[in-house]
This record gives sequence, C-alpha cells and structure tokens, in this order.
Amino acid sequence: MTERSLVARIGDHVHGFLRDLHDQGLRVPVPRQRIFLQAIEAAGPRDATHLYWIGAATLTTSSEDLEVYSPTFERWFGEVTARPVRDQESPDDETPAPGGEGDEAPFTATFGGEAGLKAGSSERDRRPVFGPASEDDRAVLSLLRRELPSAVPTVRSRRRRPARRGPWIDVARICRESWRGHGEILTLRRRTRPRRQRRVLLLIDVSGSMKQHSSDYLRFAHAVVGRLERAEVFTFGTRLTRVTGPLRARDVDAAVGSLSDVVLDAEGGTRIGASLQEFLGNARYVTVARGALVIVLSDGLERGDCGPMQAAVRRLSLLSHRLLWWSPLACDPAYRPVTRGMSAVLGSVDALAGVRDLRTAYEQVQTLVRE
Amino acid sequence: MPADQDVLDRRLAAEGYLADEGLLTAVHLAGVLGLPLLLEGEPGVGKTEVANVLARVLDRELIRLQCYEGLDASQALYEWDYPKQLLSLRAAEVEGRGVGDLYREEFLLQRPLLRSLRAASGAVLLIDEIDRADSEFEAFLLEFLGDFQITIPEIGTIRAASAPFVILTSNRTRELHDALKRRCLYHWIPFPDAERERAIIRAQAPGLDERSAARLVTAVHRIRGLALLKRPGIAESVSWARGVQALAREGSSWLEAMRRSAGLLVKHEEDLALVGRHAAEVFRD
Repeated sequence: MTERSLVARIGDHVHGFLRDLHDQGLRVPVPRQRIFLQAIEAAGPRDATHLYWIGAATLTTSSEDLEVYSPTFERWFGEVTARPVRDQESPDDETPAPGGEGDEAPFTATFGGEAGLKAGSSERDRRPVFGPASEDDRAVLSLLRRELPSAVPTVRSRRRRPARRGPWIDVARICRESWRGHGEILTLRRRTRPRRQRRVLLLIDVSGSMKQHSSDYLRFAHAVVGRLERAEVFTFGTRLTRVTGPLRARDVDAAVGSLSDVVLDAEGGTRIGASLQEFLGNARYVTVARGALVIVLSDGLERGDCGPMQAAVRRLSLLSHRLLWWSPLACDPAYRPVTRGMSAVLGSVDALAGVRDLRTAYEQVQTLVRE
Repeated sequence: MPADQDVLDRRLAAEGYLADEGLLTAVHLAGVLGLPLLLEGEPGVGKTEVANVLARVLDRELIRLQCYEGLDASQALYEWDYPKQLLSLRAAEVEGRGVGDLYREEFLLQRPLLRSLRAASGAVLLIDEIDRADSEFEAFLLEFLGDFQITIPEIGTIRAASAPFVILTSNRTRELHDALKRRCLYHWIPFPDAERERAIIRAQAPGLDERSAARLVTAVHRIRGLALLKRPGIAESVSWARGVQALAREGSSWLEAMRRSAGLLVKHEEDLALVGRHAAEVFRD
C-alpha cells in the first residue's frame, strides 16, 4: 500500500474524526488539518499510537487541547498504549478548605465584633449584585484615574529609547541624520533606558464578610486596569477568579456589573490561604506577581488553619516588589491586627492600611505617590 | 533529517537523549514537513536540550536566540553597522570618491534569525523561552516562521537556501498568539515515566547501577507527588544523581547521601522543609 493510498483509504474515517474534534470543541483550522493529512502521508503511521502522536503534534496547540483530543481519538481509533501525562500546573480547584470540610475551628478574633463569624466555607447559590457607581463615586474614580499612573512604582526598562540625555550614544540616529547633512554630524544624539510602571496585581476578597466593600473594590480595580499599563486583578472567596478581562470594558458600571456572571463565589465563604495558594500554584500567575506592586484587599479573616495563608502571603511577599494589605477593619483607629490570620501574615506585609471605599482607596493611592 | 523515525530515535539515544514516542514523532514530523516545532513543558524537562542534541545529530550549527522582555528586531534579526558606515563615508570624503551604497552587504550585522537563514547547510535555530518576549515580537516572527524569509527594506527579501530546523520553547508563563501556534507543530513534554527517567539518569550519570537509579527515581517521583512550590525536572534529578554518587564515593551511605544532597533536587527553602518532613516515606527503599 502506498502512503497516498493509505490516506485515501482511511480518508472518510479521518474526516469524521476531524469533524468530531470540531464538535467536541477543538476547532482545528483547515491549514492545520491539511498539515495533519500531510503528516500521515509523510510519516506513514505504524499503529494507532503513532497516529495518535502525529495528530497530537499537528492538531493541538496546547496541553489543554489534549484533554479534548485524547478521548475523541480513542473513540475513533481505539485505545493507544502511550498517553501524555497531563502535568498539573495548578493545585486542584477542589482542594478542601484548611481544616477540612465541615471543620468549624474556633475563630479567635479579638477585634471586629462578629466579623469573624461571617467567614464561612459555603458558596451561596444566588448571583452577587455589584451595584452601579454613584455620582460621588464617579468623581472619586476620576481623581483616582488621574493619580494612579504617577503613584505606581517604576522600574528601569531594559529597552533603550532615544532621549535628550542618556549614557549611550545613539549611533543609528546620528548616522541617519548625518546622511541628510552630507556626512556632517551636527547633533550628538543619545539613548537611555526609560522608566516604566511596575506591574500591579490586585487580589480582592469578595467573601461574605467583605460584602459591603466588594463593589467599591471592584470599581477601584476598574480604574487600575483602565489607567495602568500592566495590571491584573483576581477575586477570591472560596475560589480564585481572574477578572482582568471583564474589567477592561470602558464603562465602570458595565464592567463591574458583568462580574456578577463571572465571580460565582462572591458573598460566600472565605478560603484566603487556599485561594492564594491556588494563585501561587499556577506558573503563569506567579509571573504576574514577580516584581509587581501587589495589593491584597481583604479583612484577613481566615477560617480554620492559618498556616497556608501565612505561607502563601510570605511567598507573595518574596515574589513582589511591595506587598500592601488593605483592610476595611484597619480604617478604625482602634484596630489591632491580632486575629490569627492577620497576626501571622503581618511580618510579610510591607504596609497594612485601611481602605473601605473609593475615598479611602484614593487616600492610600496618594500615600503611594508620596512614597 | 533521518527518513525513518527509528533511525532518529537511535541517533538521539546515541547522543544521550532518550525521547518518548510523542516527542520523537513531533521532531520527526517537524523535520519531514519543514515546520517549526513549539515545545512546552515545565522547566527542566529537556526542551532546550532537544535543540542541542538535534544540532549534533543533524551535524548542523546551533543558533540560539534567548528571548527576554524588550527583545527587538535589531537584536534578533539584523542591524546596520552604523560606525562602519560612518567611517566609510568619511574615508570616501577624504579620498574624494563617491561613497556608493551605504546599505550593502558589508555593512549588515547578522543576528540569529538572519544567520539561521543564511547558514549554507541549514541550521538548528533555537528560539528559547518565547513566552518571555513581548507579544509584539511574536507578530514579528510570523513572516519568518511561515515562509522562512525575512524582508530587509534596503536589500529586499532574503529566503533560506536551506530551511533551518526551528525549535521554539515556552514555559507557559503567558499565552502565546494563535497565529504563532498555527505555524508550528506542537508537543507538550511531560515528566517522564519511571522507566524512562531511570534510563535518562543512567545515561547522564555513568557508573550508576540499576538498583541505585531505581531508588533515586522512586524518591524523585514521591517528591514530585508532594505539594511543592516547584516540582523538580529531569535536569534536577540528573544533577541529584551525580551529587549522590559523589557523596557515596566519599563514604556516605546511599540513603544518607540522598538526604544530604536533596538541595540539588528541590530549590526552595519551603520545599526542602516539606521533603524533610516526609523524609521517612520519601527516602525509604
């Protein structure tokens, strides 16, 4: 059997397989499908396993694609002896809360009245409502947008740019200009490494105990995402959710309102340690935190064992440029971070500040400018 | 490129690289179809090493472009040698002759991508850690990866006389563009199974007997099962094996040597503490 007749013979089967892949959600563009067929011709699959790997190399573009590809392949061509080991990039989403399910460890909050009792492990069923911004809110948001770019710490870029002053001679620009002046060098041009904003990472607690502050925090996040060059926002309650994309919508009410469909654990329980560890277990997210200004907006009321929270905050602190903890409880002058969670992480945090709404957030941003 | 995948397998193995069937198929197809190969996987699973070994197997020059944030065309592709142009201009002026074309070949500084196109017998081009470069750089690569050609405005389009074997690696610190992925074959390199890892360790740490390699690999797999900040790759297990060998030669018992050199395997203080807490189950026979 020639290689071409091999493709011709299994043609219908292969096309059915490709259609099924599409139906299962793995949409392979036609050029890649053609490469798959060319690969079958070129390699002449020895057995199903070999065909499996030919398809894996040509039809998939990520390890997630293999999760669709493998079962579909198995349906059409039978089980293969070799299978890729799907490396787990992040800890299991279903990691039980510290202390285990149903563990109602005594909470030793000594400040905040009943605040600690609101921190539970359950997710509520109804959708959260992140309300629209008032006129006052909009005024503060406008101030925030103005202040934010200059408040963020900067880092010197590795990329050199033309500048009036700088330590490097810009030979390319000098030469280009000298062609116009018949070879005469009239001005010495220079290059420098400009400063640019550090990445900003916001981790926003949307659990039940933070219910009255969540909308304001998310509006603040909208200003951050809209105004800064590189910003990432995650929410956490009982799970971690990346919300940077939805927050890119231009209108603040539309952006924050759309989060009701995305942040499914809002106004529910709290698993700060597990959520932060989920963040740190994902290599892509860790890159976001590296060298960034990291701001955790949370009351720090962790239920159960505070060990994971302490370890996660310590690692976040080591990864970040600065780690700020903004808590609504700290707005009270009498507040002392003596709950088990906060007292454990305090040593890793660069600054603990009180932020309960947009106005207090604006005050903190102004503090950043002064620093 | 060997026409037969088994020949490729043998030649890679002869160079000390033991690839599984998935990686072999991907590398073979990349060679046969002349397409770039995108390799992903956790650090230390041998992505970069594939290119090193392929260069030796194919007897081609290895050209490496290490990506980083801020990498631009002048560092990856070509740049004009401006000081040389200027000197030439001055010399022409002094000698009273015309300077001629200032954008000719002798003033061109070739960077890795252009060098790989011009390598007479083809090259192995390693574009390492593409996820570290800016996303604009990916867009810039599209013409190169699609047609193995580069357009220099002053000279024109340069096509590869012999297409380079291109390997891109990524640690998945960010999502790559679909347009880039579409132009490449793809393979995810997983951690190897115990049998393959034993063979790799024995190939990389000569003198290690079968039983010791098995004990090491069992421990490595148990450690990878812990909730580590960073799971050790093959590179780490090989260096651990060499470290254990060295300590054993100095008189330490094998288990003691494994404990003492665990820092070669895991590189975070928290991970070392975790391994220490599970020492009894990790290091037992």
